[in-house]
Amino acid sequence: MWNAAVHAEYLHDHNDYGFDVGNVRFSWETLKAKRDAYVTHLNRIYRNNLDKAKIQTVQGYARFTDAPEPTVEVNGRKYTAPHILIATGGQPSVLSDDEVPGASLGITSDGFFELETLPKRSVIVGAGYIAVEMAGILSTLGSKTSLIIRQTGVLRNFDTFISTNCTKELQNTGIDLWKNSQVKSVSKTDKGLEVTIVTKDPEKKNDEEKISVIQEVDCLLWAIGRQPNTSGLNIGGMGVDTDEKGHIIVDEFQNTNRSGIYAVGDVCGKALLTPVAIAAGRKLAHRLFEGKKDSKLDYSSIPTVVFSHPPIGTVGLTEEEAIKARGKENIKIYKTSFTPMYHAITSRKSQCIMKLVCEGKEEKVVGLHMQGLGCDEMLQGFAVAIKMGATKADFDKTVAIHPTSSEEFVTMR
Amino acid sequence: MLLRTCRLLPSVSLASRTHSPASFLVMAILPQLTRTLAPCRLVLRKRLFSSFRRHAVTRSMASDPAAAADATRFDFLVIGGGSGGLAGARRAAELGANTAVIESHKLGGTCVNVGCVPKKVMWNAAVHAEYLHDHNDYGFDVGNVRFSWETLKAKRDAYVTHLNRIYRNNLDKAKIQTVQGYARFTDAPEPTVEVNGRKYTAPHILIATGGQPSVLSDDEVPGASLGITSDGFFELETLPKRSVIVGAGYIAVEMAGILSTLGSKTSLIIRQTGVLRNFDTFISTNCTKELQNTGIDLWKNSQVKSVSKTDKGLEVTIVTKDPEKKNDEEKISVIQEVDCLLWAIGRQPNTSGLNIGGMGVDTDEKGHIIVDEFQNTNRSGIYAVGDVCGKALLTPVAIAAGRKLAHRLFEGKKDSKLDYSSIPTVVFSHPPIGTVGLTEEEAIKARGKENIKIYKTSFTPMYHAITSRKSQCIMKLVCEGKEEKVVGLHMQGLGCDEMLQGFAVAIKMGATKADFDKTVAIHPTSSEEFVTMR
Repeated sequence: MWNAAVHAEYLHDHNDYGFDVGNVRFSWETLKAKRDAYVTHLNRIYRNNLDKAKIQTVQGYARFTDAPEPTVEVNGRKYTAPHILIATGGQPSVLSDDEVPGASLGITSDGFFELETLPKRSVIVGAGYIAVEMAGILSTLGSKTSLIIRQTGVLRNFDTFISTNCTKELQNTGIDLWKNSQVKSVSKTDKGLEVTIVTKDPEKKNDEEKISVIQEVDCLLWAIGRQPNTSGLNIGGMGVDTDEKGHIIVDEFQNTNRSGIYAVGDVCGKALLTPVAIAAGRKLAHRLFEGKKDSKLDYSSIPTVVFSHPPIGTVGLTEEEAIKARGKENIKIYKTSFTPMYHAITSRKSQCIMKLVCEGKEEKVVGLHMQGLGCDEMLQGFAVAIKMGATKADFDKTVAIHPTSSEEFVTMR
Repeated sequence: MLLRTCRLLPSVSLASRTHSPASFLVMAILPQLTRTLAPCRLVLRKRLFSSFRRHAVTRSMASDPAAAADATRFDFLVIGGGSGGLAGARRAAELGANTAVIESHKLGGTCVNVGCVPKKVMWNAAVHAEYLHDHNDYGFDVGNVRFSWETLKAKRDAYVTHLNRIYRNNLDKAKIQTVQGYARFTDAPEPTVEVNGRKYTAPHILIATGGQPSVLSDDEVPGASLGITSDGFFELETLPKRSVIVGAGYIAVEMAGILSTLGSKTSLIIRQTGVLRNFDTFISTNCTKELQNTGIDLWKNSQVKSVSKTDKGLEVTIVTKDPEKKNDEEKISVIQEVDCLLWAIGRQPNTSGLNIGGMGVDTDEKGHIIVDEFQNTNRSGIYAVGDVCGKALLTPVAIAAGRKLAHRLFEGKKDSKLDYSSIPTVVFSHPPIGTVGLTEEEAIKARGKENIKIYKTSFTPMYHAITSRKSQCIMKLVCEGKEEKVVGLHMQGLGCDEMLQGFAVAIKMGATKADFDKTVAIHPTSSEEFVTMR
């Protein structure tokens, strides 16, 4: 969907580049059909890979029995092993109709992928990366989109440089941003949903609340967090510890507190990213079945990209985290912002911002943060360098590649 | 006031008396006089030390009144206002050197005016054309599409002019004097250049005159002058209907890609069987294939024999050899109604009008200025950076070398020089290519086949999962030794243009395959394939 949104952005810019296109019509149906076919194709590939590897697949929900030796039951049949890995993942969080009347009239990211047509009017609730990505896709593809956030910026756990810039870019692309706001209630009319929003102004002395209503909404999307899939497993019966949200607690080797039972991925609640789950799962396999008793995933400096418009890349500590950990006097910041050459001849503009968080006399790069065209493919190589302990000098002694945006990272002053 | 005094002092006291006690006394006093103005003192001290070094060369301003009297003296004189020259000049000025730049044409040189910058604008436009092809697949129904080269060119030219102005402003702000015109070394013993009748000199002169496209003469190929070069490409007022590009290097590849993708029926004439023959064969083979996939009519084992003009356009006669056949049978073909014949057969240095031969500055057989690792020519006080040296013809290389030189000359950093190993470079083909370090062949030659391990992969990027038009992404790591140090990285595919820089940092640091593997992948991207190779 992000790739499709990028197409829409190119459509906006065609004129500037000398291309005169006639009337443009977008068919969500065409796109969805092809996207679904691709996903089905991948399902088949994954099935084939398992078959080729002679891995038996069992379809159904697993639940631990009360047997002393860890055993799971699926559709009446029992399975056991000396090593059992729980990797049940998570799902989008929802508010109940008790918490917010009519909340169930909205969808989550799961429902987003079931939408049969482009919503005319979308309201997204949330400030994390999923909310940002969903809002970006819908707005760029042509849905009039509002984003409801409880505070004043999105991506509040990212470096403030990114959080501020992303919030600004969202608004620049035409998303109607509601700060200091929450959904109070939702009701259904024959013209669509009516979403009632309460807005607080933190500046004012009195806790005055403003009530507003967005009408004729055909898509209300809750992107307010995710929760682990542990409730049906009966791991409590196994004595496996979870935190207050249901995440399975593991040590650095992915062990739960129960010998022979392990967990990886979103169900653990730490670094909810596919490559993290993959890497942790593989490291575990090498530990259990190749005797590599030190095999574990290093969770530090995990790079991640947010597919916003333009995309964000980040690895390592934020400036705030670095100052807190090492003291302001030990931290040096390098940053830059510029308009990428792509926009030199377009009326639509986006910025590219880059920041290096450096520590100590040798200026070790402990954090790298960026947003801009190309940042999605730009980050991986820098993540390798940072994992190796790169310093600002290592960056500077690398010859720049011209003309690119990436070269700005090795020429910062 | 003191600054002016500083500059005057040397002309009085820095005579050829490099070995006399009196000059020692003068040297001792001078720092006292200039103590309050640090940059000036540094500059003076540099000059003093460099005059000590000029043992074999007796240069004396006092003994050559002409040079002293009517030549404007600077601390640093830069011939050429392109990437290397401007970077060197600006850094020198920052460090306190009184600097002048001589430019015969437009500020920014090749890069800004007829190279990197306008090339990238055209490549961005070609990417738009590719998106246009794919719109339908992504659910977008566009009406009739009309492309206006004129609109694009006007905006591109305006951007380049804007950059020319920015470069001018930067020089003015840095108080660097700019002189418009061609520089030529005079016969004066102390290096002096003349521009439009006026003379300029400095103890440090940087030659950064760059290069230009090579051409064949009409003697070598009749009608060759009917073709244009990359310079002419940027003067084209309209999209050629029928283009013929000659050459197999990156400029030929980029030009052919841009023209073809924007809608010109394009042929590419190459002497052997693949393009980019100095790149890793993985890239050379793949790029040659992708060119053909995008509809470029590739003529292998071919050369242009002659060109003639008709009222319908150019007629290009091509001779094709088949290296397989025993007899050297040549096939003659003619491409007709060509409105753009573009020679992209190499570049040559701009040294012929400089009279550096008169200065005794050594050049190679092609005219490139020979320099050592510190950018010194064989003539003390004369340096060279950039394309004119013929090594690593890239803007960032010229910039880095120019800056390193400035730090060496004007900040006393005597070890300051550019490391020319592991220079990353991107070719803006379709899709783009990224490469850094040794090719597999070079690595095997240098270290022996048993010490080299290759990792590679090819895949269709997710972008193409729902398009009928496909392009591949290929990646290769060349690793050396037991620790599998990554000595070379080569790739072609969507996104590779922005992907390379970070990997280049890692490879410069001596990254091993294990360093790549212990970095968590970023999903879904193409770049993640580099850290998950088996």
